[in-house]
Amino acid sequence: MAKIYQPPKQSRLGQFIDCVFLIAIVYGSLMLPLLFNFGNGEETPPPETAAAVQEATWESLGQNAVMQQQWEKLGFDPASAGEIINDRFDYTIEPWSLGITAAILIGYFIFVLTFSEKEYREVIDERFGKRQR
Amino acid sequence: MSDTVAQAPEKDRLFLLKVLGPTHVWALGVGIVLVGEYMGWNFSVAKGGALGSLIACWVIGLLYTCVAMIDSEVTSTVAAAGGQYTQAKHIIGPLMAFNVGLYLVMAYTMLEAADALVVGDLIHQIGVETGAVGLDPRAFVVLTIAFLAWLNYRGVLMTLTVNFLITAVAFVAIIVLFFGIQPWQEGQTIFHRELLTGLPYGWIGVVAALQFGMWYYLGIEGTCQAAEEVRSAGRSIPLGTMLGMITLLIAASLTWFVASGLLPWEYLGQSVVPLYDTARMTGSPFLQSLLFIGTLFAAIASANGCINDAARAWFSMGRDKYMPIWFGAVHPRYRTPFRSIVFLIPIAVSFAFTGLLDQVITFSILSGLLGYTFMSINVMKFRRSWPLGSIDRGYVHPFHPVPALMLLTLCLATYFATYLGYGAQLISILVFYIIASIWFALHRYRYVARGDQFTMAWPRPANY
Amino acid sequence: MTIWSIATYVAWGISGLLLGWMLFDVIRVGQNYSESFLLSAREGEDELLHEAEEEEGRQ
Repeated sequence: MAKIYQPPKQSRLGQFIDCVFLIAIVYGSLMLPLLFNFGNGEETPPPETAAAVQEATWESLGQNAVMQQQWEKLGFDPASAGEIINDRFDYTIEPWSLGITAAILIGYFIFVLTFSEKEYREVIDERFGKRQR
Repeated sequence: MSDTVAQAPEKDRLFLLKVLGPTHVWALGVGIVLVGEYMGWNFSVAKGGALGSLIACWVIGLLYTCVAMIDSEVTSTVAAAGGQYTQAKHIIGPLMAFNVGLYLVMAYTMLEAADALVVGDLIHQIGVETGAVGLDPRAFVVLTIAFLAWLNYRGVLMTLTVNFLITAVAFVAIIVLFFGIQPWQEGQTIFHRELLTGLPYGWIGVVAALQFGMWYYLGIEGTCQAAEEVRSAGRSIPLGTMLGMITLLIAASLTWFVASGLLPWEYLGQSVVPLYDTARMTGSPFLQSLLFIGTLFAAIASANGCINDAARAWFSMGRDKYMPIWFGAVHPRYRTPFRSIVFLIPIAVSFAFTGLLDQVITFSILSGLLGYTFMSINVMKFRRSWPLGSIDRGYVHPFHPVPALMLLTLCLATYFATYLGYGAQLISILVFYIIASIWFALHRYRYVARGDQFTMAWPRPANY
Repeated sequence: MTIWSIATYVAWGISGLLLGWMLFDVIRVGQNYSESFLLSAREGEDELLHEAEEEEGRQ
């Protein structure tokens, strides 16, 4: 039989500190990027399109008669609709940032899986007894 | 007041109550997801155009079919409140389980925040239309979360019965809208021929659309969080989940059809409440009010189910000391994981206050996606460690390992889709999980008993 | 004071009451019951199993 690991009892204060830490990383890594918006979900259109919007007509925005009718039903004129229509995503792929993202993702899974494997062997040995080799 | 609590019969052990049936499982699964047809799915239109969104809807439908098949097999053998967290603990190991538990909590809490945000936004919109000045939507955001948390706190049966009713109303509203538009009159009441513009970004846009295509179905796998509270879980959970998946496929198809036939895709792609906007275009006050109620109910049902699931995952982690054990408590009278429910309220409220719907949704989607990636690895190891016949399985999914490999491939494609346009969010959520993992491995795991984590009556896994 | 500003105050008020009640109840339960009893739920065990065991024990 493997030696049974006896975990220490965690004090109330320790539990409280752990909660604070968890909340801190939730806000630190998820909320801060949102607030400072170094995300790229909402991009301001480049100035030249902003200028083009000023004198936009439905024709210049490439909208047919039905589209025009539906936009107007929604309460838009060519200028306000133009802002939405010209707000496009940029799908140029930068090899560097893609590579770094992929490396972080793969590295993360490798780390979690190998570490889990080590811990899992301990769990199985304690639950079922050490296998005779 | 305190006397009534003290009088509750004090048995030697507390348990979550086993009171739910298949309808509640359906209400939990569909209730969480159906809001995805009322808002959020349409961001996939912004990323790939209306047709791109439809293709994404089908491809991701395939991903979720794999998820449902794989999950049914593993869940039919592991029935515990933690769902996928408990699966990970038994099949892959503690650090993975910790991460999976966090995926569940984050996916549901962020979804809950998005739901509350939409409720606040809807009420704000009504206020503006009726002439209110300087209305603060945050009051209604807090009210939504506070009320639903209170409902969850007071007992699971009432919570999910309410969910069943409001989810059913929201589902019927989509069907009524579909027939109300009279979609057989192409060119008069609905305009696909003129409004569908092909693929504005080409095929890369279709791939990019996969990200929000997940929103059509995200959260259906949450049904297995209820495993400890369902009567005959082995039968009810697969049944409720399958019915739920069928409901969602119907709702997703109808939603895409009516919305893309009435709204220009550029507008649809950034709308906060696309189905309500579709109803506005019909000019019918009845359809407009119905879809307003539908949107409101769908968002409330979803937030309600999310509180339920997130709290159960957090509770399970507390019970195993993956989180401070304080959270592992069951309420002596209401039999709910009450401390976990209360703890998660401020996180949901604060993210709802940011008002950044697409980004909050992206956090939820990414946590879900990491969970599906885990599931494909999990089922392969499950079949290797306990080959068919070695333990009793309630359900065996066909064509193994094809669904697992397909799921993994689709997950990778969806990570790439997220990189296109939301790469910073992908990095920031990975950083979050990496820091949390290091914290768990170096600090937190010390408090966890080793052998006790394995609670199923299974034989020793092969190769160990 | 319009109907909407009243509604906003009512919404804040009800939220405050509900959240306050939950906090109060969490504290009260913590004081009235022993921690080991509150933490006694175990994974993979449930009420039905527990009752079945009790009955077996009686026979």
